[in-house]
Amino acid sequence: MNIPLNVDWQQILLHWMNLAILIAGLYFLLYKPVKQFMQKREEYYQSREQQAASKLEEAEKIKARYQAQLDGAEEELRLARQKSQQAVQQSAEEQIAQAQAQARQIVEQARIQAEHSRERAVKESQRELKKLVTEAAEKIALHTGEDPFDQFLTLAEGGKTHVDR
Amino acid sequence: MKQQKKGLALWLALAVVFLALALFSGFQGRTESVQETMRDAVLHSVNQIAFLGGKAVNPGLISAFAVTVVLLLAAACIRIFVVPRFRYAPGKLQLLLEEAVGLFDRMAKTNSPHRNGFLGAYIFAAGAYIFVGTLFELLGLQVVTTHGNPITLPAPLSDVNAAIALGVLSYLVILSGGVAGNGVGGVGKTLKEFSLPISMSFRLFGALLSGLLVTELVYYFVTLSFLLPVIVGVLFTLLHAIIQTYVLTMLTALFYGEVSEPSHKEKKPRKSGATG
Repeated sequence: MNIPLNVDWQQILLHWMNLAILIAGLYFLLYKPVKQFMQKREEYYQSREQQAASKLEEAEKIKARYQAQLDGAEEELRLARQKSQQAVQQSAEEQIAQAQAQARQIVEQARIQAEHSRERAVKESQRELKKLVTEAAEKIALHTGEDPFDQFLTLAEGGKTHVDR
Repeated sequence: MKQQKKGLALWLALAVVFLALALFSGFQGRTESVQETMRDAVLHSVNQIAFLGGKAVNPGLISAFAVTVVLLLAAACIRIFVVPRFRYAPGKLQLLLEEAVGLFDRMAKTNSPHRNGFLGAYIFAAGAYIFVGTLFELLGLQVVTTHGNPITLPAPLSDVNAAIALGVLSYLVILSGGVAGNGVGGVGKTLKEFSLPISMSFRLFGALLSGLLVTELVYYFVTLSFLLPVIVGVLFTLLHAIIQTYVLTMLTALFYGEVSEPSHKEKKPRKSGATG
């Protein structure tokens, strides 16, 4: 059969064989290895991206945890400050109370000492008065002939004679 | 600056010398007329080559085998020497290879999202074959015909048999996509485009043949090559190599995606039984 344009089925089959060899060869030698490498690189960068995302997420979690801890620490600090303030106030009150008690005790002791001193002074003055009286009485009795009572009065009035008598 | 002027003057002088030699050396007598040359470029009825010393075949078939050998040798060299040295931060050659593979892979994925594994590999090989095959005619490799005349090997696809082979093979690939995606329904979808193998084949054949005919015409008359400088021919060849590569691979991917897309059966609305 004479086909127009000299189309030759045998040559078409030879072209097909040639194309089949070419397609298979290029697929195994070039297309597949290059594509595999491109996929490998894509997977590598995807894994890197996932790693970075997971690390970022982890960092966010750590940040949140530390933030919570920081918030807790602030609350704790506030409570500790409040507690210490209370302790200081209590301590100050105790010290004031103690100081007041000490002051009372000191005042009491001072009062007692003063009482003792007064009593001692009174006793001393009484003793001296007795002594003076005794001395005066002795002087009157032993050295003058005046009435002892007048002498006493004279002595008491600082040596002046009693004019009323 | 002076050196540049000297170089330009030398280049012009050489051009004038070659022009003078071409014009005055006298033309060898042609064994065939321009009509015969053009007719033979289309039909290949005269200038045939003995394939493996046996059957006489069109020069396009020899070109096709030569292109395949060149491509496979280049691919083997790249596989052995370049691919093992690929790095995550690519160099220039790696970038070129990745872009070539990625271009056809993306084309396959874009046009046929449901099924594209084999399609990518096919359009990559077909694209490489068309591109390199079209540029192959620039090499001007000489072979001897069965009549003993030397001829230049043409682009493989300027042979109608090669164009038919590639067009029909692309159609069969599309058909295989239809069968894989939709079974018998895919065959029906593909057969609806029954004109596709013819249009694909003859689009390629026409595009490549027109380039061949212009080249034959220009270089049949040596003086014409001064009117149409060689660089223009090279640029046109490069341009239609790119265009034909893009057209065939794009059409194949497009139709493959169309026929391999799973068909969605719409449920018919039920008729209400209230109507007495």
